[in-house]
Amino acid sequence: MKKYIIYTMAIAGVLFTSSCQKADISPIPTASISDASAFSTPDRILAQVRGLYGAMRSGQFYGGRYLIYNDIRADEFINETTNGVTGLEAWNGTVNTNTNVVTNLWAQAYYTINLCNVFLNGMASSGSGVVGALAPNYIGEARFIRALSYYSLLQLYARPFADGNGAAKGLVLRLTGNTGSGDYNLARSTVAETYAQVLSDLNFAEQNVPLNYADQATNTIRAHRNTVIALKTRVYLSMQQYANVITEANKIVNAAPPFAASTGVANTLQADITNVFKTPYTTTESVFSMPFNDNELPGVQNQLGFYYSKSAGNGEYSLNAAGIVADAGWTAADKRRTFNAVVAGKLYLDKKYVSATATPYNNYVPVIRYSEVMLNLAEARARTTGIVDPQAVALLNAVRNRSDAGTVFTVASFATSTDLINAILNERRIEFLGEGLRSPDLMRLLLPLPAKGTVSSVAPGASNYIWPISASELLLNTLCVNN
Amino acid sequence: MRKLFLLLFGVVVFATQAMAQRIVTGRVTDEKGNPISNVSVIVKGTTVGTTTKPDGTYSLLLPATGKALLFSAVDMTTVEMQVGSGSSMDATLKSEDKSLSEVVVIGYGTQKKKEVTGSSSTVKGSAVSNKPVQSFEQALGGRAAGVQIIIPNGVLNNPPVIRIRGTNSLSLSSFPLIVVDGVPTFTGDASGTSAGGNALASINPNDIESIDISKDAAASAIYGSRAANGIVFITTKKGKSGRARVSVDSWVGWTTATRVPEVLNSAEYTAYKNEALVNAGTFNAATNAFIQTPGPDGQPIDTKWADLVYRQGFSHSNNVNVSGANDATSYYFSMGYTSQEGIIKNNNFKRTNFLGNVDHKLSKSLSFGGKISYSNELNLAAASSGSLPGEAFATAGLGRAVVVNAPNVAPYLNNGNYNINPANGLLGVMNNKQVQVGFYNPVPSLDLNRQNSENNHLQANFYFQIKPVSWIALKTLYGLDNLLTDNEAFANGLTGEGFIVNSFGGNAASTYSKNKRWVWTNTLQLDKTLGKHGFNLLLGHEQQKSNSVGFGVGRTIVSDPFYTNIQGGFTGAPTAAGLGIGENYLLSEFGRLQYNYKSKYFLSGNVREDGASQLGKKSKYGTFYGFSGGWEITRENFWSALKLDKIFSSFKVRASYGKVGNITGLGNFGALSTYGAGLYGSGATLAFTNAGNENLTWETSKKTDLGVNFGLFKERITFELAWYKNNIDGLVLAVPPPPSAGLPNSINTNIGSMYNKGVEFALNANIINKRDFTWNFSFNINANKNMVTALAPGVPQIITATSLESPSITKPGYPLGMLFVTRTGGVDPATGRRIFINAAGQKVYFDFASPAASRYRFADGTVAPAVGSQDAQIFQPTVPKTFGGFENTINVRGFEINALFTFQTGNYIYYGSYAGLRDQRFWNNTTDVLRRWTKPGQETDMPRPVFGDNISNGSSYPLDVNVFKGDFLKLRSLTIGYNVPRMLTEKAKIATARFYISGNNLLIITKYPGPDPETSTNGNGTTNQGVDRNQVVNGRAITVGLNIGF
Repeated sequence: MKKYIIYTMAIAGVLFTSSCQKADISPIPTASISDASAFSTPDRILAQVRGLYGAMRSGQFYGGRYLIYNDIRADEFINETTNGVTGLEAWNGTVNTNTNVVTNLWAQAYYTINLCNVFLNGMASSGSGVVGALAPNYIGEARFIRALSYYSLLQLYARPFADGNGAAKGLVLRLTGNTGSGDYNLARSTVAETYAQVLSDLNFAEQNVPLNYADQATNTIRAHRNTVIALKTRVYLSMQQYANVITEANKIVNAAPPFAASTGVANTLQADITNVFKTPYTTTESVFSMPFNDNELPGVQNQLGFYYSKSAGNGEYSLNAAGIVADAGWTAADKRRTFNAVVAGKLYLDKKYVSATATPYNNYVPVIRYSEVMLNLAEARARTTGIVDPQAVALLNAVRNRSDAGTVFTVASFATSTDLINAILNERRIEFLGEGLRSPDLMRLLLPLPAKGTVSSVAPGASNYIWPISASELLLNTLCVNN
Repeated sequence: MRKLFLLLFGVVVFATQAMAQRIVTGRVTDEKGNPISNVSVIVKGTTVGTTTKPDGTYSLLLPATGKALLFSAVDMTTVEMQVGSGSSMDATLKSEDKSLSEVVVIGYGTQKKKEVTGSSSTVKGSAVSNKPVQSFEQALGGRAAGVQIIIPNGVLNNPPVIRIRGTNSLSLSSFPLIVVDGVPTFTGDASGTSAGGNALASINPNDIESIDISKDAAASAIYGSRAANGIVFITTKKGKSGRARVSVDSWVGWTTATRVPEVLNSAEYTAYKNEALVNAGTFNAATNAFIQTPGPDGQPIDTKWADLVYRQGFSHSNNVNVSGANDATSYYFSMGYTSQEGIIKNNNFKRTNFLGNVDHKLSKSLSFGGKISYSNELNLAAASSGSLPGEAFATAGLGRAVVVNAPNVAPYLNNGNYNINPANGLLGVMNNKQVQVGFYNPVPSLDLNRQNSENNHLQANFYFQIKPVSWIALKTLYGLDNLLTDNEAFANGLTGEGFIVNSFGGNAASTYSKNKRWVWTNTLQLDKTLGKHGFNLLLGHEQQKSNSVGFGVGRTIVSDPFYTNIQGGFTGAPTAAGLGIGENYLLSEFGRLQYNYKSKYFLSGNVREDGASQLGKKSKYGTFYGFSGGWEITRENFWSALKLDKIFSSFKVRASYGKVGNITGLGNFGALSTYGAGLYGSGATLAFTNAGNENLTWETSKKTDLGVNFGLFKERITFELAWYKNNIDGLVLAVPPPPSAGLPNSINTNIGSMYNKGVEFALNANIINKRDFTWNFSFNINANKNMVTALAPGVPQIITATSLESPSITKPGYPLGMLFVTRTGGVDPATGRRIFINAAGQKVYFDFASPAASRYRFADGTVAPAVGSQDAQIFQPTVPKTFGGFENTINVRGFEINALFTFQTGNYIYYGSYAGLRDQRFWNNTTDVLRRWTKPGQETDMPRPVFGDNISNGSSYPLDVNVFKGDFLKLRSLTIGYNVPRMLTEKAKIATARFYISGNNLLIITKYPGPDPETSTNGNGTTNQGVDRNQVVNGRAITVGLNIGF
């Protein structure tokens, strides 16, 4: 009897063995979320929207390096550490297809773009149904981020629009989400086609993102309607479509001072520019910024403060004494001079990106400030009216005057519209020093990248006027050709 | 139950029947006349019986019906004796013919060696026991044909690299599957700190009965998807027949560092560096110069950093075990404690382990058994050795510190404080007019820091077997393997590792990782001989589930120097450390049929279906198989007709073919597409962070093996010759998509292919076999050829890094892991400049003293483009052409001498450390630089020193001048033992006693200039093997020990 019991138990055991545990063969990870359920709840979808901004905020992209490259390529900074990791080749114009700065930024921007595409696919297939009325908002934000990413890539890897009206080679335009292996050979679209896509995304976003969010903190770090419009003024300016700049800017800039947006978020200039670069970094002047805090840092050797501050950072780059700081018109009383400081015998952009708290480098990174929209509008008006445009002067004066009360621009200050335009361009150099606008401002006008220190000037026709395409792109995407 | 417990402790009392008519007594001895205890003496046809006493005598009441007595003992042939009229019956038992009983462990069972048709090697446990090692594999080198063991360096308990018939994977692991008593165990470095923590060190080498290594598909296919790298079966000891035996094994040993690179002394260094400064044109006695500093004795400081880091380590090991068996029960209990000091100060290993196993036959048809093994290992270190994988360029690495730090500064200031630069935590410069003359001061690091890891490892199994009839066995086995690791690290703020300017500094981290596995195996085995046909059928079902969890916390900046652990006070916020969670599962069915005809023709087939959770959802299941056949020609009539049987006692030809797989090292969830969490402006984010591959599956190895085994003169001499080829397809490679596709990662894809083919030869000769003099010689050699045949589209080659430099390349048409270096053309005798050969084959002369833009010049003086890693060429192979070992064992009366040599030929090593040893920055240099170029016309291999030059000698990019041949012949171990004669041991009331002295790594013959040509800076890495970068040296050990048996 005992034997039979044992036999029965043994057989039962074998049968049990073969039937159970089949679920273990397809385990579900507990520390990450499966692609199958990433769109299953409204919270996850909202988290994905934030994730798109998060990818853009990478230190390799808008968290630091995108701005840095666009400044150091131009003439305002002098390399102090000859470190390839911190952009030496970007500074002296010797990048090649393999240079880290070229490959890393290309990869991070396209990672951001693909996240947008994957998100748009997921919203189309199921996500929109999950979030209901919020779906157009989210889709608009995704398209805004995609547009800004493509626009940013254009500034480094493609010829300016002005060169042949966008006929030059543009970007590899990816508009659908990629999630696995596949044939990813795709040729580059033209610059014009790429800009057209950027505008198509922005036009959609303008119609669909919310007018504002519940709080100013969110207004600063996520795209609302005025953010999209502000970006459009920049895009059209890059395309030299000044009439469109005016059309867009007028949507968010009053005709007369005090200049401010009358719809949506009340974007306007702050009385004191230093408040914009101070905690909590969320004034209405910051149309769009990348947030950082103690738990969210840009990563080593990506931080603006690390590059430009000598007293609190590593002083990677000092200010070029022959650059805009030499401008006599930029008076000593100008508040914007307080961002500069002489440390160890050299002038640095020492204070602009230094956080006041104990943790270094947790300051926000400015992407679009209201003063840029004002100067975009001013320039577009000056260029289209052909006269010393009073509104343009007023806009310029508003920007200058809030930092330098002693300087007042009037129509009489400028003999010709060209003088006015030059004054506006000059103001941009002062106002946006270290904010990543200098090189795009030169290139959209097909101006040479001026000489600095030991580095000679780069002519608009030179091969290193723009960056080459990432080597791994050229290797792995056989249809993609180099610049 | 009570009876069971009695059985467990070996006290067996057979009730004797009262119906006896007379008493029979006698003595049982072996062939040599030695008494055998615990022999079972049973009256045939009854249950009446007894066992012999320690002196071999027995006494038994013989029933009236008793006609014959059966004398039996394990490992002895049973003897039946008819009962005569006398009352005394002595018996002599012969040990069973070893060749008939010798078995090989194969998956889920054993097989008689004579019947094996696959390719496997057996190493006895005694070969790895009582050695000054932490884990058994460290003593396995040279003992089995085709099995290469590399001890990476002298870091204690750093896992050795094991390769069976070459490297069989590129991106996954090439480490074999290790099966301990039927349960696959964890391998690799379990430690999360800078101490080595080999998971296999939990197995006390003294508890190992045998190590069986399956090499071909026939032998390994029963392990299906995990068999591609071969399988190592560890069988732990079981009780052997007889009364309880107690054995005590102890040794003490001393280990010293060997072949430490010779560096400049203080005076040489100071003069040489100043010369380099002069050559660079920057020497200034007041501001830029090297200057000696007087020590406390007033003499210039001359620090030998190696002497402050290396030491003579003292180790000891003590093991005791009790074992025994009778017909029904066998048991083995052991306890071991070993405490070993490495050659690096404060690098220690302490293991306490217990093993117990019991097997019991409940009845003729039912048996059960189990084992519990628990091991606690403390892997202790103070500072990073810079010698574990990934650490090669660690600033704190001790291997580098001893050669880099300036000899003209001391570890202590003359006031007794540590010599540390208060501005940056680096070694202080003392009188030198320099910013930096060293990395970290290793002395405070060794004094004050900790890098500890503690393993608690439980391995247990239980089985139950039913044999309803003698030829059918149903068995169920459940096994556990739990490896729990506590890591604990602290860096004091007074050391470079913990230094933070203007604060107490200091950092601490503690992490815990838990690896748990269970295995449940159910098998049915049919073993039947029908006339001339022998069958053995195995059917099985198995599940294996593994879970891992890791977590911990890191702290920075102590709030008071008193605090030295994470629980103390810190000013920085705690940060999470060591987070991880994973699981994997393997579901399998398998079968094996073995057939033989008249023990002459052998056929065997294995098949296994595996389902693995790590794989893509469309490709989780796969079928693997192996077939083999053998022909024992000596059994043929024509063989004896040719009188070949007079010479050949055995002659077997065999062949096998099969398909097996490899998933070792594949991530748990890598095949899945997943989204990861993050933060944006304090709001939760979710982003696509892993692109999976639903078709991801195992790497496939198709293995062919042809072999001949034959024995001469009654197996006095045996030969094994094998040819093999392993075609590996579907190598998993991370195939990069174009970056513009925007995927978060390169996608693991089964795409590459490679092969290993080779020949293997093993010889074992019992040259002299006299009672008082035996001499055994064995030899094995493997010649392997590795060739990568295809990578992936978009992956024309894989350039693999050793931390900061990339001297290795894997490319189709070459063996894996070729050295990839920039070529040089010596030193220009006219100017002392290094001559580089650029990619175009042009000579380029380099002078660091020139302005940066014109350092590189062609012979005609025109400025040349800078040479760099883009000019690197595929240079030499790291895969050896041959490797093997030979061993002599000589016994003369009580004395025994055993010498094991290992060798390797045909491989090259990138001795990256040599680049550092000639770096012209503040780094100290090898004494070889004393033959530097100094005057025009001088022929030398050492360029003119220019201070700051980190290019001429290979620090900036790898150069061919740092590639050397790795051929060697090593006296791996030499043991001289003495067995105390029985007449003396008997007086001392002990059974056996042996004393020995043993040396490990005593002698090496090699032209390799580095510490040891057996080296692996990158641990178990495949495509970056053969690199020796900034490691600590190896050790030489002398041990003295004794083995006593009671």
